[in-house]
Amino acid sequence: MSLPAMRVVRPRTVEDAVRVLAAHGPEAMILAGGTDVVPNLQMRLFAPRVLLDIKGIGSLRGVVRQPDETIRVGALTTLTQLLATESLRLRYPVISSAVRSIAGPLQRNMGTLGGNLCLETRCRWYNQSDFWRKSLGGCLKKEGTICHVAPGGDRCWAVWSGDCAPALLTLDAEIEIAGPNGNRRLALSSFYRNDGINRIALGGDELLAAVVLPPRTAGWRGVYHKLRIRNSIDYPLAGVAVVMNVDEQGVCRDARVALGAVNPAPVLVKQAADWLIGKKYSPELVERLVHAAIQTGKPLTTSASSPVYRREMLRVFTRRALEEMWGMRPRTPNGND
Amino acid sequence: MHRELIQLDINGERRELAVPPQKVLLDVLREDLGLTGSKRGCDDSSCGACAVLADGVPILACVAIASCYQETRIITVEGLAVAGEPTPIQTAYGEAGGSQCGFCTPGFMIAIHALLQHNPNPSDEEIRETLSSNLCRCTGYMQIYESVRLAMRRMEARSAQPAAVR
Amino acid sequence: MSAYSIIGRPLPMTDSPAKVSGLGRYADDISVPGMLVGKILHSPVPHARIKKIDSSKAEGLPEVKAVATGRDAQRPYGILPIGHDENALATDKVRYIGDNVAAVAATTEEAAERALELIEVEYEPLTAWFDPLEAMKAEEDWIHEGRPHNIEKEYHHEFGNLEEGFSQAAFVQEERFYAAEVNHAAMEPHSTLAIWQPDARLTVYSSTQVPYYLHRTISDVLEMPMSEVRVIKPMVGGGFGGKSEVIPLEIIAPILAKKAKRPVKITYTREEVFYAHRGRPITLVDLKVGLTREGKISAVAARVVQDGGAYCGYGPVTVLYSGALLGAIYDIRNLKFDGYRVLTNKPACGAMRGHGTVNVRFAFESMLDMLAAAAALDPAEVRRRNLLQAPCVTVNGLRVTSYGLPECIEKVVERSGWLEKKGKLPYGRGIGIACSHYVSGAANPIIRSNMPHTTVNMKIDRDAGVTIFTGASEIGQGSDTMQVQIAAEVLGVRPERIKLVAADTDLTPVDLGSYSSRVTFMAGNACLEAAKNMRAQIFEAVAKKFGCIPDELESRDDAVFYRYKPAQRIAFDEAVRCAIDFHGTLVARGTYAPPDESRGGQHKGAGVGPSPSYSYAAQTAEVSVDPETGEVTIHRVVAAHDCGKALNPVTVDGQVIGSVYMGLGQAMQEEMLWHEGRLMNPSLLEYRIPTTLETPQIDSIIVESEDPEGPFGAKEAGEGSLAAAIPAVANAISDAVGVRITSLPLTPEKILEAIREKQKQDREKNAATRSEKRGAR
Repeated sequence: MSLPAMRVVRPRTVEDAVRVLAAHGPEAMILAGGTDVVPNLQMRLFAPRVLLDIKGIGSLRGVVRQPDETIRVGALTTLTQLLATESLRLRYPVISSAVRSIAGPLQRNMGTLGGNLCLETRCRWYNQSDFWRKSLGGCLKKEGTICHVAPGGDRCWAVWSGDCAPALLTLDAEIEIAGPNGNRRLALSSFYRNDGINRIALGGDELLAAVVLPPRTAGWRGVYHKLRIRNSIDYPLAGVAVVMNVDEQGVCRDARVALGAVNPAPVLVKQAADWLIGKKYSPELVERLVHAAIQTGKPLTTSASSPVYRREMLRVFTRRALEEMWGMRPRTPNGND
Repeated sequence: MHRELIQLDINGERRELAVPPQKVLLDVLREDLGLTGSKRGCDDSSCGACAVLADGVPILACVAIASCYQETRIITVEGLAVAGEPTPIQTAYGEAGGSQCGFCTPGFMIAIHALLQHNPNPSDEEIRETLSSNLCRCTGYMQIYESVRLAMRRMEARSAQPAAVR
Repeated sequence: MSAYSIIGRPLPMTDSPAKVSGLGRYADDISVPGMLVGKILHSPVPHARIKKIDSSKAEGLPEVKAVATGRDAQRPYGILPIGHDENALATDKVRYIGDNVAAVAATTEEAAERALELIEVEYEPLTAWFDPLEAMKAEEDWIHEGRPHNIEKEYHHEFGNLEEGFSQAAFVQEERFYAAEVNHAAMEPHSTLAIWQPDARLTVYSSTQVPYYLHRTISDVLEMPMSEVRVIKPMVGGGFGGKSEVIPLEIIAPILAKKAKRPVKITYTREEVFYAHRGRPITLVDLKVGLTREGKISAVAARVVQDGGAYCGYGPVTVLYSGALLGAIYDIRNLKFDGYRVLTNKPACGAMRGHGTVNVRFAFESMLDMLAAAAALDPAEVRRRNLLQAPCVTVNGLRVTSYGLPECIEKVVERSGWLEKKGKLPYGRGIGIACSHYVSGAANPIIRSNMPHTTVNMKIDRDAGVTIFTGASEIGQGSDTMQVQIAAEVLGVRPERIKLVAADTDLTPVDLGSYSSRVTFMAGNACLEAAKNMRAQIFEAVAKKFGCIPDELESRDDAVFYRYKPAQRIAFDEAVRCAIDFHGTLVARGTYAPPDESRGGQHKGAGVGPSPSYSYAAQTAEVSVDPETGEVTIHRVVAAHDCGKALNPVTVDGQVIGSVYMGLGQAMQEEMLWHEGRLMNPSLLEYRIPTTLETPQIDSIIVESEDPEGPFGAKEAGEGSLAAAIPAVANAISDAVGVRITSLPLTPEKILEAIREKQKQDREKNAATRSEKRGAR
C-alpha cells in the first residue's frame, strides 16, 4: 500500500515548523512517531500536501524541572523514554501506569507523548481502508453523511483512544502550544472538544510543544486501568485513571478520576474532588463515585466490545482504582515496584 | 512520480538513492535496496515483522518515512551478523526451534538483539514483555523464549572466558 | 544409546540459517527485471450481477501494461472436482464484499492503484444472504444457480442403532454450540510472481501449500499444457490451510503476465488476505449425547451447520470431517450425523488447522464434562472409560492402527496435578481436561486417481552428496528437515551431506501438498523407501568389494561396514564411488500410497475421514477467572501428543505448542466480526491473534505409540493438538466459576453475563430453599 504523494518537510526549529503550518494551512500535517499517522495515511484517511516531520526539532525533546517547580516534558519524548524517566515514574505514578499500557514496546519506541495526546479519534466505521470505506459509502466523519454508530444524529462519536490523556488530566497537566505568536499555555482539559471530528483545540498553524506538570499533584498515588482484549498492541476500549492524595489517617486530601476511550474526548469525572476531599474510605462513597463515572462515560458501538460491557468495566475499574488508592486492595504493579 | 535524493546509513554503509519522499523505510529497504529480510505482515503497525534498529532502538520500518531517517544509523536483520558470523541468538534460534515459518523471525531477531544488548540477563518476564509487540503465529512463543535463554547462557559463558570458543 | 543416529535427534531446521539471517526468499522477496505490480479491484457489494465493466480509462494510462477481467479466464475452477464454482475474476456475478472483479498490471504500485479507480463497474444488486439459517430458507437469488436454497452439500449418516443407544443412557444431554469464524492469519500475506518466459512458458513463484494443485489449475484455467507451466514454491511464511487451495491472486498474476508478456507480482494486503480467507467457518453444532450409568457413551447425534461463504472450496470435506471424526477417538457404537454446508455472501471458508474437527470437538468435549458432572464422575475418568481397543475399525469405517490416547491422558493428569486440583481449587480458579485427534493425511486423494500420493527421488553422484528431489512443501512445519533426517538415517550419513530440492514442478516429482497433516507420514514413507533403494545399490557394490552379501552391511556415521566386524569399513564417499563404478550416477525412487484397508467405508461421503493413521492428544488447562470482569487468565496448558515417533523432538514440540497456541487464540479472542457481509476487523490490529502476554506457559509431552505403518513409527504432529485446547479452557472456566459457555470465543463479556445469571439463579434457589424450609417447619 503506497502513501499518497506529498512533500516531506523537516524543520529544525519550532519557528520554522509554525511558518510551514501557517503557509499550508489544513494541507499540512504534523508527523512525529508515525505509529498513528502513517497507517492513517495508508488508509487515505487524510491526503495532506505537506507532511511536517518535527522529529528534527531539538527543543521539543527532554524532561526538565523548571524554576517554578513544574516539570516540562517535551512533546517529542517517546513513550519508552517517558517510562525510563525516573523522576516522572516516582513523582507521577499514574503516568507510567498509563504509558506502559500503550500498544507494545515497538510502538512505544516510536510513539511520542505529543502524538498520543493528539491521536486521531477511532471508530470501527472509520479506521478502515479506502476500499472498505467506499464500499460502505463513507461515514459522517469522512466521505459520507451517516453516522453508523448513531444514525440520524449529526454528531461524530469516534472515540478518544489515547491512554496518556486521562492520566494527565488527573494531574491537572497543562500543555504548551507553539504558534505564530509564540507559546500559549492551556489546561489539558480545555484541549479536548468531545467531538469525534474536530477533536482538539489546536489551530492549523499551531503545534503541541510540551506538557507541563504542576508540583501540586506530584507524589499523589495513581493508577490507570485499561480495558483491552490483548495485553499488548491494542488500543483501549475503556480507560480509567485515578489519582489521590491520601494522608496517614487515610483521609483523602485531593483526588481526580478521568475516563478515556468511552467518549469522543478524555473526560474528568467532575464530582471526584468535591465528593472525596476530606473523606475516609467507605464502600458507599466509592459506589457514589462509580455511579458518577458511569454517568460520565458514554460508550457506544464504536468498537468490537459492546457498550454494555465497557460501561460495566468503567464501574469495576473505578471502584478498584479507588480502593487501591485508599489501600483497601493491593496496588496494581506498574513497573515502579 | 516525484522523487528526491536521500542518503541512508544502512548496516554501516552510506546509501544514496532517489525515492518518493513519502516512501516508508520498509519499502525502500525491500524494493530499492534489495534488503528483503524485513517483512511486511500487516498494514497498521501491529505485527512487528518489519522491525529494524534505529540508532540501536528497535522501531517499525513500516511506519517510518525513509526520508525522515537520514541521520539515523539503521541496522536490518541482514546487518546483525558480524563479519559473517551469526550472533548468539541467531545460532540459538535454530537449535531451540525459535523459527518455524520464519516470517516473523527478522523482527524477533531485531527485538531480541536490542534486548540483550541493553540487558544481557533479562528475566523471563522481561523477555515476554519486550517481545509482546512481535506476533508469531507458529511457535506459541515457548521455543522463542528457549532460544533467548540459550543465547544468554552462551553469551555469559563466553564473556566469562574471553579466550574461549569464538 | 538409541538404535538411531539421526532419527529422534533435535536437528535444527535445515533452512534456519536462511531465516535468522533474513536472506531466505519468500515469494514477495523475489524480484525480476521488468517486473510489474499487479493489483486487484474488489467488489464493494455482497451479491450482484455485473452489468458492465469499462476498463478503457485504466488501459489508457501509460504505466498500465495489462488490465484483466473475467472475460480473460472463463473456465471455472475449485479445489474439489465437485466444486468448480470459482473464477479468479468474476464473469457474471460477484458474491461477497471483496470478490475479485478486475485486475491491472502497472509499472508502479501507485499507478496500479490509480488505474483501479478508473475502472467503471455497474452492478445490479441481488438479495444477499449472510446468515446460514436464513440462506437455507432462500427461495430466490441463490448464490450459485446449481445450489438450491444455498445448500452446497448435505450429508446424513447413521451407524449402529441410535434409538437403542439412547435408551441405554442414564444421562442424556442436548445442547447447541456456536463457534465464530476464524482466519489462519499466517504472518506472510499471500504473494504470487508470474513470469512470462520468452518461449511462451510460464513460471510461477507462489506462497502455496499445494504446488501440484496450483500447477493443474493454472494449466486448466489458462488453457496451457501443464508441461508449459512451472510452479515453484519458495519459502512460505505459514499456511495453516490458508494456502492449501488455489487463491485468486495465484490465477490473476498468471493471467496478467500472459497478457502483458511481462513478469507480474501480486502481494495481498492484510485486508485482502481476509477476503481470500478460506478459514474456519461459523459453525452451529446441535449435539445430543447419551451416557450410561457406568459412564459409557451409548449414543451420539450431531447436527452441524457450517456457514461456508460464497464458494465451495473445501466445504464438503470440512463438513464431512466434522462428522467422520466424531469417530476414531472414543468407542462410539451408535452415531448419527447430519451435516450441512451452506453458502452465504461472505468470503469462502476452507481448510484451517484441525480441518472440520475443531468446532465439533469443542462441543463434544464440553458435553463430556457436562455428562461427567451429571454422572458424578471425574472428567478424566469418563474419557478413560470410553477408550478404543486399538487396533480396530470404528463403526464409521475408520481404521485405528496405533492409539496413544490412554498414555496422553495419564501423562497430563500426572503432570498437571489433576487429582489435587480438579474440583478442589478455590472459587475463581479451575482446571479442565479435553482430548482430540487428527488424521495423518487423507487416505483418499482429492482427485481420484491411482497415482501415488507422493514420490521422492534421490540422486548421488561422484561428490557423494545426496540430493533429495521432493514435491513436499516446507511451510515452516519442518518438511525438509524431516526428509533430510530420514535419508541421513537410512544412508548412515551426516545430515550436512544431504541437499534437498523441493516443490518445483520442473524438478521434483508430484506430492499432493502440505495439508491434512500428510507430509511426515506420506512423504516421509516415500523418502524412506527412496533412501532404502539407494542404500541397496550402495550395499550391493560394497558387498562385492567385501565379499559378503548386502544384508550383512550397515551404514552409520558416514561409513559402510560389515555388521559382524565393524572395523571392516569404508568411508561413505568411497562406497559411493564403488557403486557409481558399476551403475553411473545413482538414482533411486520411493513412493507412498495409503493401503486399501485404510480407505474407509462405502457410504456417501465415506472418502473423508479415513487416514492411514491418527494422532491423539490430551490437554489440561488451568485458569483463573475474575468474577467481576469475566476476564480469564490461563496459567498453564499441559499438552500430551501421540505423534507415533518423534523424528525430531524440537520440531514436534514446536508443532504441538503452536497448535495449542492457535487453539487458545480461537478459544479466547479471535473472531471475524460481520456486519451485513462486511468484515469489521480485516487487520492484525483488530483481528487479535495472541501476543506473548496472553499466551500461557505451554508444556508439551511427547507420547510415542510407534505406528506400524508410519516412517520409523511416526505420524501426525501439526494439527491434532489444536482442538483439545479450546474445550480444555472451557472446561476449566466451568471448574473455576461454575458456568458453561457454549459459544466461541469465550469472551469476558459472555463469561460475566453467565456468572451474573448463575448468581441470580443461585439467589433464587436459595430463597426457594429457605422458604421451603420455613414451610416445612
